[in-house]
Amino acid sequence: MKILLIEDDREAANYLIQALDEAGHVAHHAADGETGYAMASSMDYDILIVDRMLPRRDGLSIIESLRAEGDETPALILSALGEVDDRVTGLRAGGDDYLTKPYAFSELLARIEVLARRSAPAEAATTLTVGDLSLDRLSRNVEREGEKILLQPREFRLLEYLMKHAGQVVTRTMLLENVWDYHFDPQTNVIDVHMSRLRTKIDKGRKSALLHTIRGSGYMISA
Amino acid sequence: MHSFWQLWRTTTFRLTALLIAVFVVFAVSLLGYLAYQTSIMIQRQQIQAIDREIDQLNNQYQRQGPRGLIVALQRMANRPGPGIYFVSDLSGLPIAGNVDSVPVEVLENPGTHTYRYDHDSNFEGSGGQSRGFALVKSFESPSGFRLVVGRDIVERRGFAAIIFQAFGWGVLWIIVMSVAVGLFTARSVLRRIDTVSETAGKIMRGSMSERIPVTKRNDEYDQLATNLNAMLERIEQLMQGLKEVTDNVAHDLKTPLTRLRNNVEGALRDDASKEQQRAALETTIEECDQLIRTFNALLLIARVEAGTPSGTFVDVNFAEVIADITELYEPVAEDAGISITTEVEDLPTFKANRELIGQALVNLIENAIKYAKDAKSDPTIKVSLKRNNGHVIIDVADNGPGIPQEDRERVLQRFVRLEKSRSEPGSGLGLSLVAAVARLHKGEVEILDNSPGATIRLQIPTER
Repeated sequence: MKILLIEDDREAANYLIQALDEAGHVAHHAADGETGYAMASSMDYDILIVDRMLPRRDGLSIIESLRAEGDETPALILSALGEVDDRVTGLRAGGDDYLTKPYAFSELLARIEVLARRSAPAEAATTLTVGDLSLDRLSRNVEREGEKILLQPREFRLLEYLMKHAGQVVTRTMLLENVWDYHFDPQTNVIDVHMSRLRTKIDKGRKSALLHTIRGSGYMISA
Repeated sequence: MHSFWQLWRTTTFRLTALLIAVFVVFAVSLLGYLAYQTSIMIQRQQIQAIDREIDQLNNQYQRQGPRGLIVALQRMANRPGPGIYFVSDLSGLPIAGNVDSVPVEVLENPGTHTYRYDHDSNFEGSGGQSRGFALVKSFESPSGFRLVVGRDIVERRGFAAIIFQAFGWGVLWIIVMSVAVGLFTARSVLRRIDTVSETAGKIMRGSMSERIPVTKRNDEYDQLATNLNAMLERIEQLMQGLKEVTDNVAHDLKTPLTRLRNNVEGALRDDASKEQQRAALETTIEECDQLIRTFNALLLIARVEAGTPSGTFVDVNFAEVIADITELYEPVAEDAGISITTEVEDLPTFKANRELIGQALVNLIENAIKYAKDAKSDPTIKVSLKRNNGHVIIDVADNGPGIPQEDRERVLQRFVRLEKSRSEPGSGLGLSLVAAVARLHKGEVEILDNSPGATIRLQIPTER
């Protein structure tokens, strides 16, 4: 992926660029708002990572201008402000996701990978399939190896979200945000307990496991 | 005591002075107009009286000739009163009358005149004054006399003078009295204001618990004082909160920071194996995350206490939030051997901050799970929602050991962790966030007995 990072803290930026590079992405860096805006509007990126408070031009106005010009490149806002209202203003300005500093790199990586591949047809597909597991979004039927699996409504939504992003890491906070629609910091094992129940229903007694725990990051479903 | 100039500078006094000035101007013009009109009217009446006498004299003349005229005039002149009568021949020599002479220009120019003259107490009522003031009409009779008929108007003048004098004294009295009243009001207002300034001064010098005295009068100053006192109360609370936080931050953040430092130091030791280093770094990250979580909680509380913009208030279905959160925590509780039950009334939506209500509920349930673990038997958490007396009431009850009466106020404060829970994970911020969320919604948190166990009640007024 080709990534533009607009961040004025040079040390944080260097670390991020190196880490993104190790994760197999190409990251460009702009250290202030004006440069960032110029680079974002003149080059084609898969994703923008924009710090909210920048010299010369603030992050929200960059995104607003790009959106006004019809540029729909997914943008993730980084901010030291993390309250509900800040998140709302950030998303209203055209940001696609919002991450509060300090954050774990694994969280950032998981989020940008999901954001960049958001437009994939999985969004609209009525049937999601991972290996021998299939989920019908209309009839709400879940089957593995042709065998019907009964899920609670929330378990269904959890599995649906995971399968929509099959092959991608989703973090616990992403699950809490997207499946439960709350943005607070979960006590880490809250989500884990739900996942272990889901895992029991999906993987227990099967030849291969589909639900994987990614250490230090979150979860991933893949065949 | 206030100096005159201090009082002079007050708004009250200036307004009073302005009012007095306006009043005096009006009074002077009104009285002046009245006096002027009165004097004109009196003069007109006197001229009419003079005209009547002249007519009478003319009649006498026509009936009885010059002699009759002089007799009639002398008769009039002999009557007591302010009348002035004088008749002379054409050369000006007096023939009859009650004055010795009349100025030549009066005699020679027929018409109405006023003039000063000396008189010798020749009529009663003058009180022996030697100066007079005359209003006369002079004319020439056909037979070659010059006649002057008139009135001494010294009396009238005196009367006017008395009126004007009284009027002058009156105005002076009004001014003096109003200045006095103005100064008095200004002083009493200033005295009330001074108590406010004095209190403010004491507070600025650091005595935060000072309050403005409130009298029993319950006037506008008392209302102001009451409001200011409420404001001071709030400020003091915030200051107190800040102080406690600083103290507690020092204590509760230094401990994990020290652990963190020790960890890293350990990892840097030469003889540490690669595995040991890795383990140390992982612990470090965990500690960091815990610190970040504590910081976030602190910041959130601070921002909630400062009041988030009301734009974040949306229609919230409390029953739905409770269903979401209990569902989220049910598996966790179940793993700990605790059952969660709910008893939820069907309520309409209310304006609230959904995220924060959710977060508060999470904290309450996490808290209840910690306590319910120590239940003697059958650990249960019950979450209920009802409406009572214009309040939405959310109760989270556990059947654990409960919270002793003396600790109930304290656990709502930041970083306060009861001895029993010191060993449990947690920042000691959970309940203080709940309290802050309650305050943001103008509600409150109460800790009740569930015997056994504790019920933590979050109540929020439905009307705000």
